[in-house]
Amino acid sequence: MAGLVPPGTTAVPADVSHTAHTKHDEKTDYMNLPCPIPYEELHREALMSLKPETFEGLRFDFTKGLNQKFSLSHSVVMGPTEIPSQSAETIKIPTAHYEFGANFIDPNLMLIGRVLTDGRVNARVKWDLTDNLTVKANAQLTNEPHMSHGMFNFDYKGKDFRSQFQMGNGALFGASYIQSVTQHLSLGGEVFWAGQHRKSGIGYAARYETDKMVATGQVANTGIVALSYVQKVSDKVSLASDFMYNYLSRDVTASVGYDYILRQCRLRGKIDSNGCTTSYLEERLNMGLNFILSAEIDHRKKDYKFGFGLTVG
Amino acid sequence: MAAQPKRGGVSLPERRPVSKPESNILARITSSPIVSRGKQAASDAAFVSRKLIRSTGKAAWIAGTTFLILVVPLIIEMDREQQFNELELQQASLLGAPPTAPASK
Repeated sequence: MAGLVPPGTTAVPADVSHTAHTKHDEKTDYMNLPCPIPYEELHREALMSLKPETFEGLRFDFTKGLNQKFSLSHSVVMGPTEIPSQSAETIKIPTAHYEFGANFIDPNLMLIGRVLTDGRVNARVKWDLTDNLTVKANAQLTNEPHMSHGMFNFDYKGKDFRSQFQMGNGALFGASYIQSVTQHLSLGGEVFWAGQHRKSGIGYAARYETDKMVATGQVANTGIVALSYVQKVSDKVSLASDFMYNYLSRDVTASVGYDYILRQCRLRGKIDSNGCTTSYLEERLNMGLNFILSAEIDHRKKDYKFGFGLTVG
Repeated sequence: MAAQPKRGGVSLPERRPVSKPESNILARITSSPIVSRGKQAASDAAFVSRKLIRSTGKAAWIAGTTFLILVVPLIIEMDREQQFNELELQQASLLGAPPTAPASK
């Protein structure tokens, strides 16, 4: 049969199916698609590259492992914190707090608790009941009344789909579903209902992923259209860009950034259409010792934020 | 002359009205239309060039600080990575070579 089809021909009308078969490396097996990533991590690559956790002031984190599974963490943060104000100018108030945390990490169970000196308590639980079913819980308690909240998530992972149901306080209910459609493409949707604010929403998302690039798009009826594209230029460098448009409030933001993962450091930089550029550097000084520098310059509001920190363990 | 400047744009300052010419020859020369036009043109040129310098200065400041934040750490880190690689190469050639070979610089 191979002799009938000379190599290099792109279209032989009499024998199209045969040439099509020899051109592809493997046919997509629609019964064996990979499991997609969770719906809330759709924009994971773009978020990691474009939105590092910039901070202002000093940050010191110390994590000490007592056991294979159990570890304690101490953290000191000092610096100005922005408080939301009605006027155009930003109001910053110097704050400092210490945070104590305990983590228990098991293959099936993960418990994380944090307590801060300004009266907040955080707790996170992730429990793998079976291979496919996972229960997650999240709670935050504060001194201020009506600011505490908690949320439960139930995740079910199928062969090539994932579904999630979540309930939160204030009568917040949500469900999401994502399915692998081809080897590279996965589509999903979500609905949520917030009883306290009497709001409901529905959204759709798509993610196309290959070895070299990831493109995602998300639309919601709250007015948000978010598109992102990440290209892995080499194993050390990746470039990312992001476009967010709110069609109800006519708000547009586009940003472009890079992410260099070198052996001694990780450097992320981004520039925005709001005239804001940020840069985040994590430098490995020694084994387990990381030095962090963060810079954020907003040319439009003339707001400059610089931070430095140290992470041990 | 247009009295209302364009909304949102930069416009030249309003022209002074021309005063009555005098009898003295020097006064007549300095208040002649050519000289007054020349003075007007010089002040307009100074105004425009001041605006240009200011906007160029602002653009240069924004470009300079953005370059400082985005590009300078990148250059420093890439340089360090290259040095680290060269050092590793040297170490590898040093350890990988048989003991008789002397240390190459």
